[in-house]
Amino acid sequence: MNETKGQPVFFGGRHYLVLFVLLCLMTGLVGRALYLQIVEKEFLASQGGQRQIRTIETPAYRGAILDRYGTPLAISTPVDSVWVNPSEILQNLPALKKVTQQLSMNYSETVDTLKRKANKEFVYLKRQIEPELASRASDNVDGVYIQREYHRYYPAGEVVGHLVGFTDIDDNGIEGLEKVYDNWLKAEAGARRVIRNRKGAVIEEINQVKAAQSGKDIYSSIDMRLQYIAYRSLARAINYHAAKSGSAVLLDARTGEVLAMVNQPSYNPNQAKQKTSGNRRNRALTDVFEPGSTIKPFTFAAAIDKGLYNQKSIIDTSPGWYTVSGHPIKDYRNYGPLDLAGILRKSSNVGASRIALSMKDEELWRSFSDYGFGKPPGVIFPGESSGYFRHFSDWQKLDHAIMGYGYGVSVSITQLARAYAMIANQGQHVDVSLIRKEPGIKVENQVERHVMSSKTAKMVLEMMEEVVGPKGTAQLAAIAGYRIGGKTGTTKKSTVGGYDEDNYFSVFAGVAPISDPRLVMAVIVDEPTQNGYYGGKVAAPVFQEVMSNALRILDVKPDDIPSLRAQIADAEKGA
Amino acid sequence: MPGVYGVLLLLAFVIGSALSVIYVKHESRVLFSELRNVQKKQDQEIIEWGQLQLQNSTLATHSNVESHARKTLKMKLPKTIQLVRLP
Repeated sequence: MNETKGQPVFFGGRHYLVLFVLLCLMTGLVGRALYLQIVEKEFLASQGGQRQIRTIETPAYRGAILDRYGTPLAISTPVDSVWVNPSEILQNLPALKKVTQQLSMNYSETVDTLKRKANKEFVYLKRQIEPELASRASDNVDGVYIQREYHRYYPAGEVVGHLVGFTDIDDNGIEGLEKVYDNWLKAEAGARRVIRNRKGAVIEEINQVKAAQSGKDIYSSIDMRLQYIAYRSLARAINYHAAKSGSAVLLDARTGEVLAMVNQPSYNPNQAKQKTSGNRRNRALTDVFEPGSTIKPFTFAAAIDKGLYNQKSIIDTSPGWYTVSGHPIKDYRNYGPLDLAGILRKSSNVGASRIALSMKDEELWRSFSDYGFGKPPGVIFPGESSGYFRHFSDWQKLDHAIMGYGYGVSVSITQLARAYAMIANQGQHVDVSLIRKEPGIKVENQVERHVMSSKTAKMVLEMMEEVVGPKGTAQLAAIAGYRIGGKTGTTKKSTVGGYDEDNYFSVFAGVAPISDPRLVMAVIVDEPTQNGYYGGKVAAPVFQEVMSNALRILDVKPDDIPSLRAQIADAEKGA
Repeated sequence: MPGVYGVLLLLAFVIGSALSVIYVKHESRVLFSELRNVQKKQDQEIIEWGQLQLQNSTLATHSNVESHARKTLKMKLPKTIQLVRLP
């Protein structure tokens, strides 16, 4: 650069001076730009980012629980909560007035509340309302904001309350299927980084931090039509007999799917108040009882399978009682000599215990274990009970004898239903499931697992038909047009140190139709106090009502047309 | 001087690409805001779907249907005697 200071000013020098000054300015600018671009870059970028870049949540939905045909049993729907910043909104009272009107709230009360909370920054105006209403109310009003929340609804309410369960406020399943399949149903909200403009609107997405993972749906095995009928019938019976509680389970005999599972008392999962632990229990899976006479078909099956008896075998039950190790085993009265079907029909304890004693204790234990006593039903459910079934090495002779008619062993109603399903399913093992099984897959992969021979199963099934017949204990279970088989049970409730003489479990388990079993149902009523207490009077009518509807709804072909004809003829004669 | 033309050509390219960057950026913002709108709409549809499902299942509760059938429509189950079997 030329030295220009102090020199007389001439044209060329001026030129260079201007050039020099401009160059200085230029260098300064470029230097500053370089400084900002290189040295301060990170700091500035992060500052800019903090003002513009936001991580926002991508909402995801918890999966729905559906019945086998897709009717929703539990669904999550978005709701909005409207909240305000009191210090902001209180400066704009006309706007607040409009908002309160739209939310149908009392304006002056709201203002009072907000004034009391004026030092807070976050106050809910109204929680969990329809999103449309919320957005209309908060539209273009400064200081009124929306927060997205999800509400879990249970449209079927108490009818499936025990099965479906419910979630807590954070959408974690804490009871029922909601709990068992929580990981499957669970949604994980995603996160995205976005650039927002000065007004707060998102203008560009930078990247996705985490993809939103919506929960997957579950098709349960339940058929809501049958579930509702079962619920209604059971509730009516519990009420009519002034009973303490009750349960009923309806299974598809071929696949083991639970078509209906109901309990009383019930609760509505939509209402937090009703969720007491007593109501909440899925008794059909958690509560056990001594099956009593309903176990007799299995005592028979075990003995027939071992070739000890057949349909023609006669057992003398007179004089109606005998003693084992000093303890009397009694029948209601002296039935004399009976064949096996007769023992089942009359429900003779003497006959059943004799048959039990004809087997070695180990043999009986092994058979009963195969039938699933002492083993959980395997539906995977919180609190699922496996019942109580002692190993034969702990048995006394008396235990062995009374086991034959269902004492000294306890089962849940679902275990009992499963055992009946095995008889109905030609003696094959049945996996009980609360989840819909895909049709078709079963046939290919299923290995036949016989727990009793199909011949035995058929024989026992036909004996059970007589129980529902005109001479049996369960005539109220009969359904016109169908061959029905089943067994009643009336068990004294065990108390500390013995049995309670006045309190009973009334049980009925049955199969329909006999010629090609499709459905199995077991019903238990705990402590019926009015209008009878026998299994055939209390539980069998519930079976009849539910089963007759189920056969109609599922379009099962009647297998006893002649009886239907006879009944019609009788009715015409009477009319 | 071919060098000058070369530089001018490059300059034109640079300016052209700069302009196209501006254009593409603008385009992407427009598309993005469109995407946002569609997403918002989807969100609303999901909300509506949930509410319709709820409404449907509430109205079609089995007890509702039953009482409607029995009381309003005076329907009842046929008795056995009323059944006719088609050959």
